[in-house]
Amino acid sequence: MPPLSRSCLWFVLLLIPARGWSQQTGITRAFDLERRGDYAAAAEAYRAMLTGKPGDVSALLGLERSLLPLNRSAEILPAVRAALKAAPSSSAVYGIALRAWAAADQPDSVRSVAERWARIAPTEEAPYREWGAAELGRQNRSAARAAYLRGRERLGRPDAMAAEMAQLSLAEADYATALREWLLAVGRLPGYRATAVSTLGQAPQSARPELLRLLRRESDIVARRIEAELRARWGDPLGGFGVLTTVLPADRVQAIAVLRGLLDQLRTLRTPGARRTEGMVLEAIAARSPEVQASRTRLEAAQAYTAAGDRAAARRMLGGLADNRATPRSVASDAATTLVGVLIDEGKLAEATGRLAELRPTLSADDYDAIRRRIAFGWMKQGNLERADSAIAADSSVEGLALSGHIHLYQGDIGRAVELFKEAGPYAGDRAEATHRTTLLALLQPLDRDSMPELGQALLQLEQGDTAEAAAGLERVAAGLPASHGGAELYLLAGRLSAASGKPVEAERLLRAAAVKEAPSTAPAAELALAELLISGRRGAEAVEILEHLILTYSRSALVPQARRKLDEARGAVPKT
Amino acid sequence: MRRREFVSQGCAGLVAVSPLASWRFRSQAPWLLVPMDDVQTDHLKAYGLTYRALKRGVKAEWFLNYRSGAFLLPSDAGTARDAALAGVLVEPLDDGQLVQIRGGLQGGNMDAVPLEKPPKVAVYAPPNAPPWDDAVTMALNYAGIEFEKVWDAEVMGQKLKTYDWLHLHHEDFTGQYSKFFLNYAGSAWLVDMVEQNRAMARTLGFPSVPAEKAAVAGAIANFVDKGGFLFAMCTATETLDLALAAAGTDIAASYADGDPMDPNATARMKWDRAFAFHNAQLELSPTTPVYSDIDGHQVNSPERRQPLGSYTLFNFSAKIDPVATMLVQNHRQVIPDFYGLTTSFSRKTLKPSVTVLAEETGAPWVKYIHGEHGQGTWTFFGGHDPEDPQHQIGDAPTDLSLHPHSPGYRLILNNVLFPAAKKKELKT
Repeated sequence: MPPLSRSCLWFVLLLIPARGWSQQTGITRAFDLERRGDYAAAAEAYRAMLTGKPGDVSALLGLERSLLPLNRSAEILPAVRAALKAAPSSSAVYGIALRAWAAADQPDSVRSVAERWARIAPTEEAPYREWGAAELGRQNRSAARAAYLRGRERLGRPDAMAAEMAQLSLAEADYATALREWLLAVGRLPGYRATAVSTLGQAPQSARPELLRLLRRESDIVARRIEAELRARWGDPLGGFGVLTTVLPADRVQAIAVLRGLLDQLRTLRTPGARRTEGMVLEAIAARSPEVQASRTRLEAAQAYTAAGDRAAARRMLGGLADNRATPRSVASDAATTLVGVLIDEGKLAEATGRLAELRPTLSADDYDAIRRRIAFGWMKQGNLERADSAIAADSSVEGLALSGHIHLYQGDIGRAVELFKEAGPYAGDRAEATHRTTLLALLQPLDRDSMPELGQALLQLEQGDTAEAAAGLERVAAGLPASHGGAELYLLAGRLSAASGKPVEAERLLRAAAVKEAPSTAPAAELALAELLISGRRGAEAVEILEHLILTYSRSALVPQARRKLDEARGAVPKT
Repeated sequence: MRRREFVSQGCAGLVAVSPLASWRFRSQAPWLLVPMDDVQTDHLKAYGLTYRALKRGVKAEWFLNYRSGAFLLPSDAGTARDAALAGVLVEPLDDGQLVQIRGGLQGGNMDAVPLEKPPKVAVYAPPNAPPWDDAVTMALNYAGIEFEKVWDAEVMGQKLKTYDWLHLHHEDFTGQYSKFFLNYAGSAWLVDMVEQNRAMARTLGFPSVPAEKAAVAGAIANFVDKGGFLFAMCTATETLDLALAAAGTDIAASYADGDPMDPNATARMKWDRAFAFHNAQLELSPTTPVYSDIDGHQVNSPERRQPLGSYTLFNFSAKIDPVATMLVQNHRQVIPDFYGLTTSFSRKTLKPSVTVLAEETGAPWVKYIHGEHGQGTWTFFGGHDPEDPQHQIGDAPTDLSLHPHSPGYRLILNNVLFPAAKKKELKT
């Protein structure tokens, strides 16, 4: 090859990619400007690209995005006109054109572009969908509806754009129409079901009976599934499950898919009813699953039943699961652990202890100790403090020390309880437990006594849920103590318990006994509690007096800001929280 | 600073560390200084403390531009107790310290304005208006400043002359229900509002709500003309002036008065009757919740809506221009903006006589304006709630105990105390 021809070839080879590179550089630069938030410069860069290539959809979209934050959307119109000439059959360009004319508030042009697009794509929903969206952008819902209906008519499909029509009806709070449209949409595209349930689920209480009535009129499984899931969301999970059981397909795989749809809804709810229904759904799934999966699902069902407090159902699920040789080992171990939990909840602590001993080889040391502490806690709640103590005798974990502290406290061994709570420190259990221990320490430390069986008894009654007896016991103990050495603290606790159990007269008497100047560290809390009690009893003026006394007398108390806030509330100076 | 000064100021600082310290030191000092700079523990309640002191017959002083607009109160037991209860920081002052402060006031752009009489405050609001929907009501409630509510019957019944200070909030004096009539049709709150306004118009013998509101606007203008202090926020600012300037021209949509707005209304406005604005273009569309181009931000027009920035308070000469100085006392000079149906005021629509108190630098709008009308004064503050910048219908109420240092709310309370100032001769 002569030298000249060779250099010409090199030039051509260099030129071809260079054009593409220049185009690439243009879009990269424009993107970069847009990403950095320099929308004006980005818009200019996109415009420059469109000058050379008016039908470039990426550049046109970029220009649209850049003009929007500048509040100059209508300026895209010349570029859109040029793009429509350059690419008269591009759906993307038509979509942009519709939005551009909508932004320019030119509804006639919006309509005309949509009609042109529909002529080019006579079987597609896109022109009408985008037309409607553009009208919604102008906040013109009626025009959007007209666009969708026109599309439906032209396409000859009554379910066309049903999802869009449903959303439109929801925006107008027309839930019945929205439901009808969602049924069409889900019938055509089952993936819409989750959206349908999620949006219809927000219907107000008053609209719900009508929606359920409309659903019951439909006979197909689409309606039943939506009804079941809506019932679950609206607080009737059992009813939802009942609806579904009548229409479950014979095919196992299909039936499981239907049940899992309801399960997804139930798992967003934490009520006992929902957890119980979750157990029932899982049980139904297990009945249709292969054995290996079925054991795991039965275990999940047992756990759901346990959480719902339905111990009989949990035991039914677990029956045989732990001992069955066919059950996978990990499932058997989890099942046995769950069963021990059920036994503890049922108060069958001796049986639980026996099962735990059998399980010990399969459990990690931490899991074993955790269950043992649960059993000890159960003994403690039953008042069998010696058994509880022996159950955790060898447990030196911080959780074990904390539990041991409680046991000693209920035995009236105040000195040892304080030591154990201090040893357990702030890391045993969750935050609420740690806070509870700190509160107990604050209560016990001023007492200056190592043994107080009557106080232990009262606090045990509190642990057992007998608030009235606990308050009475605390008051008796308080009466025998100086206010500055724990008496006021115990009155305060007794007062709070009485207030919480709806006994305002007793609570007031006890809180006033706690709010004495001899106990300056307790009195502010007692006065604040008293003020809250008075406010709840519509005795705002008296509460104001108490709060003013608190602020002025105990001016350095950490409760002063809270007292000021309460004072503002009592005077109506701030909204009630 | 010399060591002795440092030590003495340091000790004063220690005494004033908490609002309660001053309660304990009350008997030792004849004066209490309520600092309004960043050491103050509750700026908003400090206004209430001063107001209640005036109410007890105590004479106070407002130290303009001194420690961001501090107040001086006599150190009586009632004031010290009130400060402790409200959580307002006060600093005990002896006579020597006060003389030193007064010396400082003489030398700089500062002044002491005597506060003599607690103003009698009226808030214009419908009887069932929720207490948490109006920034001024919230500020007054929080600060503990007494006020009475008035509405159209009281205004038309000449009751305004019994008050010193009148506040208007987001009322629509064009009688178009904030132009929400079509967009929120069917909403329970709108139905209530319409029914209540129609009933009041019938009771007062007017053919329509716009006609009745125009008469109410006239009565309010008369109140200012006779020496009243008017403070308006949000859309009350713009619609009050539109109602006054309309003077018989129909500026209301047909849903409000049965016939459409006069298409030539803009040209027929008589701006000489308005307080603050002139030459504004009226919005003709009944569905767009915008009244005119007076508002710079146009929050309810998606195409015209402007983003929020921040506004800057002007500095005035405390000795020459004490009124404007009082109105801008603050511990912040640049404050984040907040939306309202009327957020700001376009510069091009301001009358030349208007005093701009705060503006957004470089923007074609201002935020806070003031002027005189007859023997009285008016102040307009754009926006709905200084601590709820995006305010939407149905938002949770603002809890001012969470915003005790709100500079925006301070501007509102400056206006409440400003009528308490004893008028003194200007030095120019």
